[in-house]
Amino acid sequence: MITAIMERMHAPEKLILDCRHVGFRVDAPDGELVILDDISFQLNGSETLAIVGASGSGKTTLLGLLAGLDRPTRGEVWLAGQQLNQLDENERARLRRQRVGFVFQSFHLLPSLTALDNVILAIEIAGMDRAGERARQALAQVGLDQRLRHYPRQLSGGEQQRVAIARAFAIEPDILFADEPTGNLDRSTGERIASLLFDLNRQHGTALVLVTHDPHLAERCQRVLTLDGGRLVGADDAQAKPIAATASL
Amino acid sequence: MNPITLSLKLLGRQGQSMPLVMLLAGLAVATAALSAVSLFTDRVGRAMERQASEALAADLIVAGRERVPVEFVDQARSMGLETAELVLVSTVIFAGDESNLIDVKAATDGYPLRGRLQVSPELGADDREVEQGPRPGEAWLEPRAVRTLDLELPATVELGRRTLDASQVLTWEPDRGGSRFMLAPRMLVHFDDLMAADLLGPGSRARFRLLIAGSERSVAEFGSWVSDRLDDNQALITVADAEDQTGQALTQARRFLGIAALTAVILAAVAILLTALRYQRSQRDLIALLKCFGASTTQVGLAMVLVLAWLVLIAVAVGGAAGWLAQESIVRALAEAPVGELPPARLLPLLGSAVFTVLLAAGFALPPLMSLRRVPPMRILNRAMDRMRTPWLLSWGLAIAGALAIPVLQLGDLRLAVIVLGACLVLALALALTGWLAMLGTRTLATRAGPSWRFGLAGLQRRRAGGILQITALGLALMALLLLLVVRGELMSQWQSSLPPDTPDHFLVNIQPDQVEAVGERLTSIGARNLQIRPMANANLLRVSGQRPPDDRMAGQVNISWIDELPPANEIVAGEFFAPGATGEVSLAEMWAERLGVELGDELTFESGALEFSARVTSIRRVDWNSFNVNFFILLTPDAGQVLPHQHIASFYLADGDGSVLRPLNREFPNISILDIGALIQRVQEIIDQVSNAAQVVFFFTLIAGLVVLLAAIEATRDERRHESALIRTLGADNGLVRRGILVEYGVMALIAGLLATGGAAVTGWLMARELFNFAYQPTPILFALGFVAAFILVLGSGWIGNRSVLATPPVRILRAG
Ligand SMILES: Nc1ncnc2c1ncn2[C@@H]1O[C@H](COP(=O)(O)OP(=O)(O)O)[C@@H](O)[C@H]1O
Ligand SMILES: [Mg+2]
Repeated sequence: MITAIMERMHAPEKLILDCRHVGFRVDAPDGELVILDDISFQLNGSETLAIVGASGSGKTTLLGLLAGLDRPTRGEVWLAGQQLNQLDENERARLRRQRVGFVFQSFHLLPSLTALDNVILAIEIAGMDRAGERARQALAQVGLDQRLRHYPRQLSGGEQQRVAIARAFAIEPDILFADEPTGNLDRSTGERIASLLFDLNRQHGTALVLVTHDPHLAERCQRVLTLDGGRLVGADDAQAKPIAATASL
Repeated sequence: MNPITLSLKLLGRQGQSMPLVMLLAGLAVATAALSAVSLFTDRVGRAMERQASEALAADLIVAGRERVPVEFVDQARSMGLETAELVLVSTVIFAGDESNLIDVKAATDGYPLRGRLQVSPELGADDREVEQGPRPGEAWLEPRAVRTLDLELPATVELGRRTLDASQVLTWEPDRGGSRFMLAPRMLVHFDDLMAADLLGPGSRARFRLLIAGSERSVAEFGSWVSDRLDDNQALITVADAEDQTGQALTQARRFLGIAALTAVILAAVAILLTALRYQRSQRDLIALLKCFGASTTQVGLAMVLVLAWLVLIAVAVGGAAGWLAQESIVRALAEAPVGELPPARLLPLLGSAVFTVLLAAGFALPPLMSLRRVPPMRILNRAMDRMRTPWLLSWGLAIAGALAIPVLQLGDLRLAVIVLGACLVLALALALTGWLAMLGTRTLATRAGPSWRFGLAGLQRRRAGGILQITALGLALMALLLLLVVRGELMSQWQSSLPPDTPDHFLVNIQPDQVEAVGERLTSIGARNLQIRPMANANLLRVSGQRPPDDRMAGQVNISWIDELPPANEIVAGEFFAPGATGEVSLAEMWAERLGVELGDELTFESGALEFSARVTSIRRVDWNSFNVNFFILLTPDAGQVLPHQHIASFYLADGDGSVLRPLNREFPNISILDIGALIQRVQEIIDQVSNAAQVVFFFTLIAGLVVLLAAIEATRDERRHESALIRTLGADNGLVRRGILVEYGVMALIAGLLATGGAAVTGWLMARELFNFAYQPTPILFALGFVAAFILVLGSGWIGNRSVLATPPVRILRAG
């Protein structure tokens, strides 16, 4: 508890994510399948990090482990000062609801809730007060204050993703995970969404982990990690402790 | 690829898949409901057929309100025919401390002329056929009579003036047919005993019968000879008439159970349609792949027909077995009511149910499955290429009409079937509309509640169409069961307590004028309350203002009475009641006057014995028949009593309800027949109970069909739920929140279903009470408690069963979901 408070106070400099020798293996019909192997890196609050790599290289799996959606089979993930391996499903959920925001490739809004209610639901889950007010603000920030009562099916892909971004920032997370946030959008919409994401990220001072296979998008992050076949093959920054190979871009 | 192998592969691969299991369940429930009813009606039908030839215990009967003239008997004998005579009369019989209303049949030697009687020495003992009816001094009692009189055979019973030796249990009468729903149990005695018992006065309501048997030609000759000589109160009954009557009883039973089965079938059809749609959706990828590998449209179509055929095969086996067990419980429920001893069930009716199941499958499951033929192989590359076409409406209509044809045939009455289907449709629409409105209502709730409510209600909104369907299906089934289980009993007891406390429960008939005073005193002394003793005479209505009265069973011979003041429970609606000292006037009950088209000012001419007399209609009365007082359609001014031969009839309430206090009266005035109305009402109630118990068995299938609809709808939306649950877990919701959300979704559904079921049952009960019994029904808390508890258990239970995998969905799934 005390560490959590202290971390918050020193948010910008403080380590938000610490990934130590993480591996992920699954049992397959013909032997064990190594999906991630010995991944280590650290991320400070308010840093932005891109994870790139070919399709199937393990980016999404890694993101899931970092966000505590799943548990690694090897190594440790520390998120906001807590070791995820030691938390059960519900404890990890509690950590996520207060600290973590998500933006997905396919938006994932609840179709039977309006834009406003989708955001309110996330705020309520986070256990924050004045949910309506916060949700309105968040939607205004993404330029959707005229579309509060619209259902997802009445919104374009770009607009849906903006609702998702509002939902992610509305809970004032410490860290935001985005998995191919522009993957389902056309190029120009994608660019506008990316700009919005980075702008809001800067404004809120949130750490960002962005999975993408788009080099332009990756370039806009401060750091880039490259995955190949489940191994970290490149990190373009000096702080990254492990196997610092050539910068890969 | 061989379609048979393909179909088996499809089944084998997916043997455990929920859509297939549900499809099977829907088919099996429909089969079971129909098998139960058809197996049962087949048994009853055969029992009645077997009996039909002996249903009269004779070849021809002359029936009348008085003993047939001796010349009829002599004529029959001279034609070489066998004869026997019967008298039937209802009266209270005393035995030890017990007394009960018994339907007494007295027979001369020779009865029965056709068929055999069967008796056993004691209850439950093996019975044997006998050649002859009881000897003078003997009485044979039906098992129910032995039980209600609490007899240990041999024993003695008192029939009017006579004390008889109850020596045998009567287990079979060939001519019981039409009176299967006989209110009072039977006692068979010798003709001479009943004549000597002095019970048969002019008001005794005894029915006399002359039984005739012999060669076909002689019977026909006698028939034409006697038909010219019958008076208005005599009738000929032929074997064909008896068959008609038994046929009617069978039709009634078949209809009632058929209606129950039809509701099960309708719900099962909905379940089948839902699951078939779901199954075909889950198969589209596989079929597209098979087509890529070269499977032809015909092969896929054939494989689908075969898949369905295997399912039908299993459903017929499982459903047939369930139906077999169910018809046993129907028979048991009806043990003493209309059916009596039945021949064992046979397999043949199951064939009909099987054919029906095939039609149902063809109508509701085949169209969706056949649409798989049209899956484009391109789907493999791009799902957007696969536009599911809505099947042609007409082909669906035809298929559905075909599938509904059998239950309609089963019901044996197109008009009734249309009414039932229409009523179901209207009721379903009403329920669906209410459900929809209630769901709209929850929408406003969603904006002002916590996250589990917001999430739960969002799910409810999203799956609104399915939810309404589930609520309607379950609501209908629950409503039917609540009506039978709760409302029926409440109606009966509330109706009884709605009657004034001293509503007459006993009638005495055949009191002679010189006995009136003594009987009145005696009754008062044993505590009879609300006593009314009224004169009664029989007369024939000859003319209405000079015209022959219409041919109606309410015309002809009528009971008339006379009085100088308006009796209680009567109200004048037209004209004015007799002024003091008025003569030659008549007052009519509204119902009778309307039926025969008699109006104020008409002159009615009656004939009684050799006497003819006329009276003018001066008033019309509305009578509250529910009052159980002695009431008459036709009331004359008191001057009629001076000339008409008559007797008296008394009605009263016996405070302590124990009929044995009437025994001294019975001894002193053996000519008087005692009717115990309380026992009659109780018997009516027993019959209603038994019939509804039988229907409950069938409605139970309706409930199961409703559950299958519920589970099928849950199954159809499970992927959606898993996705939503994974999403909000990713957003940080814990298991508890997801569980509460699901609880909210299903809880609201259960609430609405419970509301619809209990509300529907209460309103139906209220309408029945108002229309049939004329009182205001008030549903008790039990109805609501039971309805809601059942709705919650069923809905939440199936929600839990259907959603276990939803709770187990790991949040990481959201990253992989498209
Ligand atoms: N639970 C699992 N079981 C088996 N294989 C998995 C599992 N999770 C991921 N994979 C496999 O691991 C590899 C990496 O997947 P993913 O993380 O989705 O890659 P990316 O997001 O980089 O495309 C893929 O080959 C995928 O099929
Ligand atoms: Mg990926």
